Amino acid sequence: MKTTIYSRLLGLAMLLVTTVGFVACTQDGGDKKEEAPSFMETQQEKKTYGKIQNVEVGSTIDATMAKSGKEVFEMKCTACHKYDERYVGPALGKVTERRTPEYIMNMILDTETMIENDDTVKCLLQEFMMKMPNQSVDEKDARGVLEHLREHAATGK
Amino acid sequence: MITSRSFLRGCLTLIAALSLVSCNKDDGSSGGAFSGDAASRVYVAPGQKDEFYSFVSGGFSGQLAVYGIPSGRLFRVIPVFSVDPEKGWGFTEETKPMLNTSHGFVPWDDSHHPDMSQTGGVADGKWVFINGNNTPRIARIDLTDFRTKEILEIPNSAGNHSSPFSTENSEYVVSGTRFSVPIPQEDISITQYSEKFRGALTFVKVDKTSGQMDIDFQLLVPGFDYDLARAGKGPSHDWMFMSCYNTEQANTMKEINASQNDKDFIIAINWKKCAELAAQGKGTIMNVDYAHNVYNDATHSATSTIKKQIRILTTADIKGALYYMPTPKSPHGCDVDPSGELIVGGGKLATVIPVMSFSKMLKAIESGKFDKEIDGIPVLNYKDCLAGEVVRPGLGPLHTEFDGKGYAYTSMFVSSEIVKWSLKDFKVVDRVPTYYSIGHLNIPGGNSTKPWGKYVIAYNKITKDRYLPTGPELTQSAQLYDISGEKMKLLLDFPTIGEPHYAVACPADLIMKNSRKMYQLKENKHPHATLKEADTKVVRSGNDVHVYMTSIRSHFSPDNIEGVRVGDKVYWHVTNLEQDWDVPHGFAVIGANNSELLIMPGETCTLLWEPKRAGVFPFYCTDFCSALHQEMQGYVRVSNGGSGQVTWNKK
Repeated sequence: MKTTIYSRLLGLAMLLVTTVGFVACTQDGGDKKEEAPSFMETQQEKKTYGKIQNVEVGSTIDATMAKSGKEVFEMKCTACHKYDERYVGPALGKVTERRTPEYIMNMILDTETMIENDDTVKCLLQEFMMKMPNQSVDEKDARGVLEHLREHAATGK
Repeated sequence: MITSRSFLRGCLTLIAALSLVSCNKDDGSSGGAFSGDAASRVYVAPGQKDEFYSFVSGGFSGQLAVYGIPSGRLFRVIPVFSVDPEKGWGFTEETKPMLNTSHGFVPWDDSHHPDMSQTGGVADGKWVFINGNNTPRIARIDLTDFRTKEILEIPNSAGNHSSPFSTENSEYVVSGTRFSVPIPQEDISITQYSEKFRGALTFVKVDKTSGQMDIDFQLLVPGFDYDLARAGKGPSHDWMFMSCYNTEQANTMKEINASQNDKDFIIAINWKKCAELAAQGKGTIMNVDYAHNVYNDATHSATSTIKKQIRILTTADIKGALYYMPTPKSPHGCDVDPSGELIVGGGKLATVIPVMSFSKMLKAIESGKFDKEIDGIPVLNYKDCLAGEVVRPGLGPLHTEFDGKGYAYTSMFVSSEIVKWSLKDFKVVDRVPTYYSIGHLNIPGGNSTKPWGKYVIAYNKITKDRYLPTGPELTQSAQLYDISGEKMKLLLDFPTIGEPHYAVACPADLIMKNSRKMYQLKENKHPHATLKEADTKVVRSGNDVHVYMTSIRSHFSPDNIEGVRVGDKVYWHVTNLEQDWDVPHGFAVIGANNSELLIMPGETCTLLWEPKRAGVFPFYCTDFCSALHQEMQGYVRVSNGGSGQVTWNKK
C-alpha cells in the first residue's frame, strides 16, 4: 500500500518536473520570415541572461562602429546566418526589431548561458537543431556587430 | 555466543597477520594491506585533474606522449618524428616539410629523451625538446598548443643519443653522437675505426623568446660512443657532462669488445668557454648539409631549409675546455644533483655507483696532474675527482634522479629495482623492485635545481606477466611510486606507447594556464586561407585545382564541386571558421592516398587528392562536431576529360 502511494507521488513529481522543464514554444519562434514581431516576442519583461545586462544604443547609427562590426559579422557569422533568409541559423536582417540589444550581445558573447537559460533560444534550438557556436568575439566587436545589424535593419545595407 | 565471537575475532587477526606477511614479501601485486591506500593515492575523481603533466618519450614510435600523474592517464600523443595520419602530420602540405632531412623525407625516428626548457635551473613549462636517434635531429615542442614547432638535423652526428639535455637557462641543448663515424664521411674500411672515426658533440643555441634553435658550434672529439649528458647547475653552470663508452674503439661485437676497459669516461665540457672561443671565430667552417624545419604559427605552415655550414672546434682549438673523468665500466647515465656539485655516473657494468665532485674536479684541473692525454684532452685521476661511491647498490646502475630532500634514486636494470641513497654519505637507505628491468626513471623536476619530490616513475623495458597478454608484443609499461615518506611505495602500473625512455614532468599549473584554446581567424596568414564563407571558391590552374573551403558546425562550403578531371591534383585548403575551444573539424575524401585533415578552430590545412577514376565522390567531416555532424558532407564530381571548367554551388 505504502509503495503505491509513493510511486504515485513520484509519478506526479516527475510529471511536474517534466512540464516545468519543457518550454512552451510557438511556431514563430524560429524567425522563418521577416515578419512583424509576434505578441509573445514583444514581451520584453523577461529576464536577461548572460553577462551583458544593459546596452546603450544611440538614436542614430554609429557608422564607424557599424563598419567594423560588418567585417566581424562577415568573418564569424555569415557561415551560418544570412540577412533575409533562413540558413543554418535564423535570418538576422531585422533581428534588432525583435530582440533586445542585450539579447543580441549575450547571444554573441555568452552563447552557452543563453542556450542553457533563455526560453526564446531554447525554442530556436528545437527548431534549428544546431547549437550556435561561441565564436570568441570580444565585447567591442560584439557591440560592432549589433550596430551593423541595427544599420542593416534600418537601411538594408 | 561470546565464544564464537572471540573465535571469529581470532580468525580475523590471523587473516590480517597472514596478509601482512604476504605484503612484506612484496610481490608487486595490487593485493595486500596497502591496496586501498594506493588506489586512493592515484585516483583522480571524474572531472578532477591530475597534479602533474608528464611528457614521456615514445621510443621507437618517434612521438611524445602526454600523461597525467598520479592517474597515469594518457591525454595526447604529440607527433614529432613519425608521420601520424590521424593528425595529418607529415601528410598535409603544411607539415610535410617538418620531416624533411638531408636524406630527403624521413617518416620515422626513434625518440628517447624529452627535456623541458629551464629558467634558473627550474622547468619553465615553455618547450619540450626531444632527440631523434636514428637520423640525428632535435625537435622542439611548444607547450601552449602541444605541437612540434621545429626540427633541426644534426650533421656529422650518426646516432643522436646523448641529447637534447638543456643547460640551466636553456642557453643550449646538446647533441652527442652515439656512433662515431668518419668526419667528413668517406668511403673507407670499417677497420680504420680507431684512426679515422670521430665523435661529434654539437651545441645548439636556443633563442630565449622564440625558442628557435641554431647550431652554434660542433666539437670533434675521439671516436668513442657518447651516451648521455647533463648540464651543470649553480657552481657548475658553465659545464656539460657527457658519459661515453667504447673507449676501446671497437668496431665489431661491441658487447664484448667495448666492455674491456675497467674505466671509460665522463667528458666534462666547459661550454661557456667553447662558446666564447666560437664567438671569437676559433675553429673552422665545415661544409655540410642539414635540414632546419620550422613551423610558422601565423601561416600554419612549415618550411624546410637545407643549411650548408657549421663551425667546427677541434680539441686543439679549445685547450682547457675539455677533460675526461674516468668512470667505471661503460657509464650510461650521467646525472647532476640539484646543488650542481655531484655528478653521478651510471656504470652499467660496475659494482658501485661512482659520484664525482665538481669542486674536486676543478682542483684536479688546477693541479695539472693528469693520468694521460687522449687527442689533447687531459684525463683526470679518478680518485682525485671522486666524492664517493655507493657500494653494493644492486646490479646494472643506469640513471639517477633527485628528490630535493637529500636523496638520489638510481634505476638498476639488471636487478630490476630502484635504489634510494643518501647524498650525504652515499649509503643505500631503501630499495623497491620494479616489474621489470627498469631503464630510465623520473621524478617531476628530478633533473633540476627544484625537484617536486613526491613521486618517482619507473620506465620499464619488460612487462612480461603484468598485463593481459596481447600476443608476442606486450604493452610497454611505467610504474608510479610514492616517495613522500621514508620508504618508496608502489602505487600504480600504467601502459605507455612505443618504448618509454626518459620522461619529464612538472606541476600542471605551469602549463595549464598557458594552454591555447584556438587559433584566431584574424591572425591566420595562411596563403590559402578562406576567412569567410563568401570567399569560398574553386580555382583551376593547369592540372592543379585549388578548393578554398570553409568548415563550421555543420557544413562545408562549397559542398558540391564539378569540373575536376582524372589526373588533376586537387588541393583541399580547408579553413575551420570555428572560434570555440574543442571544436576541430575533420576532412576526408574517398581514395585519398595520404590521410585525413584534422583542422583546429581558426586553422587552415591542405590535403592533396589525386582522383584516379571518374564518378561522383563524397567527402565528409571525420570529427563529430554537432547533432548534425552526419550531415556534414559533400560531393565532388570527377570527369574523364571535359572542359575542366570548375563550378561549385554558389549561394
